[in-house]
Amino acid sequence: MPIHEKSLIRPEKLVEHEELVIEGMDVSGHWSTFIEGRSVPDYNETLQEEIAALPGGENIHRCWQCGSCTNACTVNALNPDFNPRYWIYLIRMGMEEELLRDKDIIWQCVSCNKCTYACPRDVVPEQVMKATSHWLELKGHTPKSPSMIFDEAFSEQVFERGKIEDGLVLREFFKRTGQPVTQPWLVALVSGLVKRFPVFYLMKLGLATVFRPRTRGWGKARDAIEEYVHECEERNRRAVGLGTKGAK
Amino acid sequence: MSQPILIVGGGPAGLSAAHAAASAGRKVTLIEKEDRLGGAPILSGYAKLVPSHEWASDVIGAMVKRVVDNPNVTVRTGARVQSFDGTPGAFTATLKDGGKVEVGSAILTTGFTHFDSVNKPEWGFGTYPDVVTTTQLEQMISSGKGVRCPSDGRKPDRVAILLCVGSRDRQIGREWCSKICCTVSANLAMEIREELPESNVYIYYMDIRTFGLYEGEFYWGSQEEYKVKYIKARIAEVTSDGKRLLVKGEDTLVKRPISIPFDMVVHAVGMDPNVDNMTISSVFGVKLNKYGYIERKNTYTTLCETSRPGVFVAGSATGPETIDDSIAQGSAAAMAALTFVPAKTPAEAAE
Ligand SMILES: Cc1cc2nc3c(=O)[nH]c(=O)nc-3n(C[C@H](O)[C@H](O)[C@H](O)COP(=O)(O)OP(=O)(O)OC[C@H]3O[C@@H](n4cnc5c(N)ncnc54)[C@H](O)[C@@H]3O)c2cc1C
Ligand code: SF4
Ligand code: SF4
Ligand code: SF4
Repeated sequence: MPIHEKSLIRPEKLVEHEELVIEGMDVSGHWSTFIEGRSVPDYNETLQEEIAALPGGENIHRCWQCGSCTNACTVNALNPDFNPRYWIYLIRMGMEEELLRDKDIIWQCVSCNKCTYACPRDVVPEQVMKATSHWLELKGHTPKSPSMIFDEAFSEQVFERGKIEDGLVLREFFKRTGQPVTQPWLVALVSGLVKRFPVFYLMKLGLATVFRPRTRGWGKARDAIEEYVHECEERNRRAVGLGTKGAK
Repeated sequence: MSQPILIVGGGPAGLSAAHAAASAGRKVTLIEKEDRLGGAPILSGYAKLVPSHEWASDVIGAMVKRVVDNPNVTVRTGARVQSFDGTPGAFTATLKDGGKVEVGSAILTTGFTHFDSVNKPEWGFGTYPDVVTTTQLEQMISSGKGVRCPSDGRKPDRVAILLCVGSRDRQIGREWCSKICCTVSANLAMEIREELPESNVYIYYMDIRTFGLYEGEFYWGSQEEYKVKYIKARIAEVTSDGKRLLVKGEDTLVKRPISIPFDMVVHAVGMDPNVDNMTISSVFGVKLNKYGYIERKNTYTTLCETSRPGVFVAGSATGPETIDDSIAQGSAAAMAALTFVPAKTPAEAAE
């Protein structure tokens, strides 16, 4: 198609008529391609506020659409559909449906922050991408990403005991992502470790898996952290208009 | 009340203030740190000015002559004020060379400093010789040498002008619009097309601010008569393929990445606060505003007052200003200084 702009129009909106006469003018065929008007009846007027209320989304209203984030972006260079400027526009205009078309690539942001350093308005687009992914997940549009699941398994242990035990984090991660615990690479890693480590150290490791390490007097800290995390989660849910999840 | 007036800075604003005060019969001492008068348009060698299309050397040169020829004006070039003491109506300015000037009031017309493009390294200035500033472009035209690529002296076929370089950018702490660079760039684009009709000139913009009557003549004129092309994009970086410069960005209107070769890239540099402003602020005891320009006390009522009674300010020392507005403010400051009556001290008031 020689006219580039056609690529901006969704194919289902491009129509040609075999035979059509309008006010005496024959507009049949390929030379009279029509673009059906796009009507967006379902603007989500609160979309910008919802994202702005999530951590990282605070500065989205500053954006003036200069394109510096997109043209600095690592992922955009590989995939032109990854376009932070465009998504910020959609969010600000409340075009939720359009945004959802890209839900499966928005989370691909690699947090390199090149956009952050290019943005003349200090929108911090990297954080906006995070908030947007978060929003998609809270609203149930996208499943939790593997890295998110890992983070959760990791932080839950820290909250619980003030310490982590790597083996347990991994096992939890595999369980929650439905992967077998006996991953070939993991087996190789562990048997490699066993060969090289001094006996005393191996014993310590073994003990740690049985008697889970725990920070002494952690209880108070745990309660405080859990309360805080719960508060944050509830705040986020309220921000995007979801009901409370109930106390943990 | 007829004490002399001290004017600091011999650009358009200072020349205008000096002329106005001296014409009213007041003695004026004009201090200029450079070796000649005229301010940015003369010192930086601007070509034809916006909006009159007159050569800077002609019109600002005439303003210089008018002041130098006025017997009421004492001009001190290559001079700076070291300290400024006393009370309103009876100040003593001590110059760097030890000389003293007794004055009743002072007008600061110390102007601005051009933004230094090396502070935006991604846009290639200082790395590639064919990346230049609007100031350099003005000089190419005013020197009569014409618009040529500095690297090899060839006539550029494709020229890109990048707007807002050093303005409107939180990353470098510059939260202002420099006001005149859009119009100056449109004007320069027309000059290039006039001299090199074969050339293609592109202007990369975020917003176009050819305010007021500049819209028709400069924005529309450059598009309609001179076929200058405007692209809505803030570019990512300027690189080179060894032969030509490459400008990379996103054309936001069509949501498409662009990477376009150019022979010359021009930075439309902004108007920074004068680099001397911290010193000026402490020597004259005047406040700066949050951007670093000299603060004006009032917007209405009495123009040109600073935070210190008896010390006035005009022109681009207060923020980005055009030449004609700087000249108007210079006259207003002269009027304020001519009519300035120091507040009575409590002792005087009791008499
Ligand atoms: C590339 C470019 C092109 C432009 N073209 C146009 C145009 O076409 N039309 C237009 O209307 N505007 C134009 N402008 C804006 C124009 O330059 C300013 O409006 C004008 O110079 C302001 O005059 P001024 O007297 O306030 O300051 P300046 O011109 O900056 O003059 C200040 C003077 O004070 C002196 N000085 C500074 N500090 C001290 C000190 N501490 N002690 C003693 N002396 C001091 C300086 O040496 C200078 O001579 C342009 C600006 C740029 C950057
Ligand atoms: S942080 Fe994300 S959006 Fe920003 S430049 Fe990197 S990949 Fe692109
Ligand atoms: S760089 Fe900043 S202002 Fe420009 S489009 Fe991206 S987020 Fe918006
Ligand atoms: S006048 Fe134009 S180029 Fe200059 S800072 Fe303002 S918008 Fe940018």
